Amino acid sequence: MQSHNDPSATTASPTEPTRDSPTRDEVAQVRQPVSPCSPLLRSFLYASHDWYGGTRNIALWWTLAQYDVVLRYRSSMLGPLWITISMAAMLMGMGPLYSVLFNIPRADFFPHLTLGIIFWTFISATLTDSCSVFINAARYLKQGDFSATVFAWRTLARNTLYLAHHIILFIPVSLWYGTSFSWNVLYVLPGLFVVFLNLHLLTLGLGILCARFRDIPQMVTSGMQLMMFVTPVFWVPQPSLIDEPALFLNPFTHLLDIVREPLLGRAPSTASYRYLAYATFVNAIVSTALFGLKRYRLNYWI
Amino acid sequence: MALVELVDVAVSFPLYGLGAHSLKRRLAAAATGGRIGTHTGVTVIEALRNISLKLRDGDRLGIVGHNGSGKSTLLRTLAGVYPPDKGSYSRQGALSSFIDPTLGIEVDATGYENMYILGLLRGLRTHTIRASMRQIAEFSGLGDYLEMPVRTYSTGMIMRLAFSIATSSQPEILLMDEWLAVGDAEFQQRAEARLQEVLANTGILVLASHSAELVNRECTSIVELSHGEIARWILPSRASSPT
Repeated sequence: MQSHNDPSATTASPTEPTRDSPTRDEVAQVRQPVSPCSPLLRSFLYASHDWYGGTRNIALWWTLAQYDVVLRYRSSMLGPLWITISMAAMLMGMGPLYSVLFNIPRADFFPHLTLGIIFWTFISATLTDSCSVFINAARYLKQGDFSATVFAWRTLARNTLYLAHHIILFIPVSLWYGTSFSWNVLYVLPGLFVVFLNLHLLTLGLGILCARFRDIPQMVTSGMQLMMFVTPVFWVPQPSLIDEPALFLNPFTHLLDIVREPLLGRAPSTASYRYLAYATFVNAIVSTALFGLKRYRLNYWI
Repeated sequence: MALVELVDVAVSFPLYGLGAHSLKRRLAAAATGGRIGTHTGVTVIEALRNISLKLRDGDRLGIVGHNGSGKSTLLRTLAGVYPPDKGSYSRQGALSSFIDPTLGIEVDATGYENMYILGLLRGLRTHTIRASMRQIAEFSGLGDYLEMPVRTYSTGMIMRLAFSIATSSQPEILLMDEWLAVGDAEFQQRAEARLQEVLANTGILVLASHSAELVNRECTSIVELSHGEIARWILPSRASSPT
C-alpha cells in the first residue's frame, strides 16, 4: 500500500505547493464543485447539494426535532401533554370572554378561535424560530460539512410536533359545538401543503438573512406581534371588511384562511388561493435566491 | 481512497463592524447617500493565504503554530466548513471530525439516547447505531449510568461517552484539534489503544497541536503556520505511493 521510505514515489514536494494535479484521474470533486466555473453557479450548486443532502437525512432532523420536544418536558410529570394543556387553558380563558366581547354566538366563535390560535401559533413560532435557525446551528456548521438545511427542517418538524399536540384540541371543540361535517374538510390538505411550503422556504431565506443582519430577528419578532392583531386570529372578519388592505394584503389572513375554513366545513375563498399563488411564487424566488447565493457564505457569518 | 486537496486557498472573514451587520444602518446609508452610515466599511481578516496542500491515503499531517496562526481555520477548511474565497478545495472520502467530540450532546437525554443522537450527527445510519450500541456501552464502561440523563454525569464521563461514540465508526479522513485524552488512568489507556486502532485504519489524519512532541510522534509531515501562511515545513510531507 504505502512505500513510506521511497523518495521516488514523491507526488508532492512540500516546499513547492502541489500544482501538478490535473493529470490525476482519481481526483473526483467532492462537495464543492470545480472553482473555475462561475461563482454564481458554484454557489447554487453548493446550496442545492446542501438542500438535497439535508432534506434526505430525515432520520437526523426528525430525531433532533423529537428530542427538542421531548426533552423540554422530560422532568415534568405530564410531559408533552403540557403543550396541549397550556393551549387548552388559553382557549378556555379567551373563548367565553371574547365571544361576549365580540357579541358572536359561542358555537360559531369558539371553533374559529381554536383553529385561529393553533395555526397562528404554528406559523408565527416557526417564523420566529427560523430567524435563529442557522445562528443556533453555528457549532455544528463550523465543525464539519453539515448540511444547514437539516436545521431548517428540524425547526419546521419541531413546530409541526407542537401543532400536532395542539390540534387535538379541535376534536372536542368541534364535537361539543357540533361543527357540521362536510367534504370541504379535504381542502385542508392543499392548504397545509401551501403553508408548509411557504414556511420551509421562509426558514431558509430568513435564516440566511438573519445570520447576516442581526437585527432582522427583532424586526420579525415585533412584526409578528403586530400581525397577530391585524390578522383575524381572534376576531371574525366581517364581510364589510373584505376590502380592508390590512386584511386582503396580509398574507397571514390567507394562510389562516386556507387551513381554517376547511376544518370549519367551508371552502376557502378563491381570492386566498390566488393571492397565495403569487405570494408563494415570490417567496420561492426570493428564498431560493437568498439560500442559493448565500449558503456558500453562511459559515463565514455565524 | 481518501484525498483532500487545497490549491492556493485563501480564507478571509468579513468582520462586520457595528455598521454593516445592521440592516438599518445599511438602509440609512443608502437612503442618505452614505452620510449617516459611513461606517459600513467591512474589515476583512485574512485567516489563511496561499495554502496549497495535498493529502492522500497514509498521510498524517501535523499543524503547528502560535495562537491565531490559522491552525483551526485550516482544519475547518480541510473539513469543508469554509468554502475558500480563492483557490479550490476538493475532498474525497468520509470525514470525521474529532474537533469537538461532545458536540450535540443533549444533557437531558440518557446515555443511550445520546448514542443515537450523536451517531446520527456523525452521519451514521440508524441500524448501524443500533448494532454498535452494545459495543459502545461496553467500551465506555459507564454501565447503568447510560440509562440516566447525561446531566448526572461528570465531565470525564461525558467525554468517555462522546469518545466511545466518536471512535465507534471508522472514518477515512480524521481531523483532530489536540489529542484526545479522556477519563481516568485506566480508561485513558484503553482510549489510547482505541484511538491508535482507529488511526491505523484512517486514510488521512490531520492533527493541529501545540505540542511539538505529539506531532513528531504521530505525524509523518508537519507544517508550521504563521499569520495564516505556511511558514515552513518542519517535516516535509512524505509522499504516499499512488494507488
